[in-house]
Amino acid sequence: MRITAGVDVGSTQTKAVLLRENGDMKIIARALVDTGANVQKAADRAFRACCSDAGIDPREVGYVVGTGYGRYNISFGHSQMTEISCHAKGARFLCPGTRTVIDMGGQDAKAISVGENGEVLDFVMNDKCAAGTGRFLANAAEVMGISLDEIGPLSLQATRPVKIATVCTVFVESDILSYVAQGKKAEDILGGVHLAIAKRTLSLARRVNIEAVVTMTGGVARNTGMVKALETVLGSSIQVGADAHFMGAVGAALFAMEKLGQSFESTVWEGAHAASRRD
Amino acid sequence: MPLVAGIDCGTGFTKAVIIASEPHATARIVGRGRAKSGVDSNLAASNALRSALQHACIAHEDLAYVATTGFGRYGVSFRDIQITEITSAARGAHFLCPETKTILDIGSQTTRAVASDHGKVKAFKSNDKCAAGSGMFITRAAKYLEVPLEQVGELSLHATRPQPISSICAVLAESEIINHVSLGVSVEDILRGIHDSLAERAGMLLKRVGMGDSVTFIGGVAQQAGIVRALQEKLKVKVTVPDGCEYACALGASLLGLHRYSAVHSVTKVGTVA
Repeated sequence: MRITAGVDVGSTQTKAVLLRENGDMKIIARALVDTGANVQKAADRAFRACCSDAGIDPREVGYVVGTGYGRYNISFGHSQMTEISCHAKGARFLCPGTRTVIDMGGQDAKAISVGENGEVLDFVMNDKCAAGTGRFLANAAEVMGISLDEIGPLSLQATRPVKIATVCTVFVESDILSYVAQGKKAEDILGGVHLAIAKRTLSLARRVNIEAVVTMTGGVARNTGMVKALETVLGSSIQVGADAHFMGAVGAALFAMEKLGQSFESTVWEGAHAASRRD
Repeated sequence: MPLVAGIDCGTGFTKAVIIASEPHATARIVGRGRAKSGVDSNLAASNALRSALQHACIAHEDLAYVATTGFGRYGVSFRDIQITEITSAARGAHFLCPETKTILDIGSQTTRAVASDHGKVKAFKSNDKCAAGSGMFITRAAKYLEVPLEQVGELSLHATRPQPISSICAVLAESEIINHVSLGVSVEDILRGIHDSLAERAGMLLKRVGMGDSVTFIGGVAQQAGIVRALQEKLKVKVTVPDGCEYACALGASLLGLHRYSAVHSVTKVGTVA
């Protein structure tokens, strides 16, 4: 039995998972903490929360891989991987057959093109603008005075989504306020906001080759309205795993498992793949 | 002696200027007022105008003509004409600084560079897609740093080691600021970094319209001494901030409004046939 951990320090939230390999591969613990200003501390807290949740001693964890936070590289755990590789890895594991990953996190939006064998072929990300990120949606929710968890479901009830001409997080605030003043329904405003962001994100994603299966990862994947808006604009369905939010951490833990023993790569890992392909 | 009002319905504040004109004489500013812009441009315009009317000690009925400009110019029901903020900026800046060739206007959500000649627009560029480089960038940073907006400009002048802010996005920049704070960087150094970042952004717009050797800087943000210094150092040009920089567009609108009014009423009111 081997246990590894993946810790994904995001701009907004830090995610950690523990992975256990014991004939099969299982996620045995998850933890989510706010990143705050001290990334090292957040990573440590998330990792320890996972261990205590699973009831194991941190020393039992054989290998820890850290990931996340583009520009501000952290050095946590035994080694680090880019979040691009980790999201691709996690998505291939939890949503077999994934060829395109759309990752919408707290402050970034990415699209990753994955090859038939799970290798990263290409990726694009927003580095200049907050459109398409969780931050954008959090801002919109705040302006509307509606909780972040509610805006997605509400947007699904839109009957006549409003037109949102700009995707600048700051400008949309004014747009929203003027629609509120015009007496537009919250559902329709949010419907318009979600559609605008879906268009923006997909125009980013189209810079890589979008191929089925498309899997969505990152915290924004929990927003059902966003998933639906992306599906509407894309014109095809999008996979969202139960652990979409933890995908980067899952990928990191999988890499950790590989590092722990190369022998594993040829036996169990291949087995897991073969099993998933049959699904 | 017609009295004409110009109202600039900006994204942050609405500014009103009242001018008086006499035949064969330059127009004179008789009143100024401002109000916070909200979702209702009409209300904000009324509030700003009321304050300008009080300042000028006149009644609304005394106004011969009302010209509006800015983002909310179409929302003002009592307007006689609406003028784009680009045209108004060029006209207002020319009135305040007759030598003006290049204008930089930084407002709450907009940044514009205008090349002009004798108050006429020759070229312009603006940030119409996003808030990068606009006053909102500073407003949000000030809010996070818990510094009153009025103190930002002065504090920034006291920076000793300005910390660069690389982000273009006003929202993503907040995370950078949070990082700087957690690393113990002083508020002064962060604010100057923000001013430098805005100056750089403004420089890009100015270069695209063709920057001369001097820039007339108008708009609410021009009141911040820190960004004026940042612009001067980065762009190596003389930056002039006219008195009443925040009202330059409203003033421009009033002057253009007066021009229009005089053309329409040339025979009866002004006494000269066009």
